Amino acid sequence: MATPPVVRNKVSIDLFTDAYRVTGTAVIGAGGIHSELGNPASDFLELQDAYISRIQDPGDIVASYTQVAFRKENINFIVLQNRRDGIPTSTQHVRSVFLRGRPVPVFLTVPSFEIRGEILYEGKPKPRDVIVQAIGRFLPIFVAKASASLYPDISYSGDLILVHKDRIGILCFADV
Amino acid sequence: MAKITVIDDDDVLLRMVGMMLERGGHQPTLISQPAQAMKSLKDSRPDIVVLDVMMPGVSGHDLCRQIRATPELADLPVLILTARSQEVDRTAALKSGATDYMSKPVTSQELLERVGRLLVEKPAASRVGQIVSLVGFRGGAGRTTLAVNLAGLLRRQRQAEVCLVDLSTNGGQAALHLRLATRPNWADLPAAASLDWATVEKALVSHPSGLRLLAAPAGLHPPDRPAADLVTTLLKLLKDSFGFVLVDLPPVLNPAAQAALAASDVVIQVVAPEVISVQNVVQSGRAVAKGAASARHLIVLNHCFANEPLPLATVERALNGRVDVSVGYDANQTRALAQGVPLSLTAAESPLPTDLGRLAENL
Repeated sequence: MATPPVVRNKVSIDLFTDAYRVTGTAVIGAGGIHSELGNPASDFLELQDAYISRIQDPGDIVASYTQVAFRKENINFIVLQNRRDGIPTSTQHVRSVFLRGRPVPVFLTVPSFEIRGEILYEGKPKPRDVIVQAIGRFLPIFVAKASASLYPDISYSGDLILVHKDRIGILCFADV
Repeated sequence: MAKITVIDDDDVLLRMVGMMLERGGHQPTLISQPAQAMKSLKDSRPDIVVLDVMMPGVSGHDLCRQIRATPELADLPVLILTARSQEVDRTAALKSGATDYMSKPVTSQELLERVGRLLVEKPAASRVGQIVSLVGFRGGAGRTTLAVNLAGLLRRQRQAEVCLVDLSTNGGQAALHLRLATRPNWADLPAAASLDWATVEKALVSHPSGLRLLAAPAGLHPPDRPAADLVTTLLKLLKDSFGFVLVDLPPVLNPAAQAALAASDVVIQVVAPEVISVQNVVQSGRAVAKGAASARHLIVLNHCFANEPLPLATVERALNGRVDVSVGYDANQTRALAQGVPLSLTAAESPLPTDLGRLAENL
């Protein structure tokens, strides 16, 4: 029996390092960008048609290139407008492991940014458990907003923000 | 049917937008090489431009600035259509001079509705030469905030050529509201006898929206500056070149203010809902009316603070007249001032520009 072809889609993402915002197109499979970030075969994430802005001047494009690679460990977070582009979504029969649990309001910081949103978690969340138990290097924060720490009027909203767990400085949960 | 030029380096998206516009009965011209865009725009003179931001070589923002800086294209409505979908991107688009902004993906219906709105808003021609002076002798009533935002609204909604003149002698704040330099300014102008349009034009500072500003010089200046005859000549030259000349008068009835009032077509008195401001308008009303005898007079009640004591009815009773427009308190104004981006250019839904819209319609 022939193997069905792997479907790859192009999605537009906003990616943030310590000092830069990069908007570009990523090619993803069914596992979304989270799966690409967790792919142990490569330390790099590649974007096509990437446009680079400084964090303090996010509307101004300072450079653009057709091919850009990022070391995954230097990515602070990625903003997506649709969670389907970020994580594997539920099928007719199986609910995605990423979408189980109840929403818990969360506040966290990464270099240059503070992020508010919700995690989905089963049971009473404890910061250490959340970090350890979350699948992969990046923690999904839903219905999230990232504000620049030094420029609080500059913010980015998305249905999903994937935050690099190693870059988290402060992690707080609200009682629910 | 409108002639619409679409500029996008992505051929697939370009064709898709072109098809949407064709189905809407428009005549699209598709340009995938942004470097060729300016020549094509000058040659074809479309009714609207739909512009991508992220393009190699030249960004949509840069192209938009070039369009605004080209006299024959300066009034062209520009709709930015970009994959960058954040609020900061909307702000950046409007700061570059775009008329409107949409984020991708966009449906055919959304695009056609927005294009239709831009076509309706596009004026056949701006009304020529109205001098509108804003008066408020009580500091802190928000006169400059209203002047800057009204100028922005007239520029954005009416696509009019607008010049804002800050006649303050104590530093002036219009440049601060627009994040513009205070040099050159009115102190750089020669005496009235030597003043011509070329000199005046050199003294105007350009805002990315297309708005022009004659700034006030930084620091304190004698209250008899600028000279009355200079103001009279200056406003006449500006009136010949702009659809609207908005004059932010100083909070004193000095010779410059008197000259500006005498030249005004419309005088807007700004009053805050507090006792001293109302009293001030009552006391100065006769002098203002006499100084601008041929002008139309409007009163704007500006709620600068969240909690203010006097209700509208009390203010109207004290003024013995009707308030023409009441502008609600806008919590976003502090941020707008700090960023140097007027709400009327970036946050059209915010209370201040919404209320000021009624005033703009009145002009």
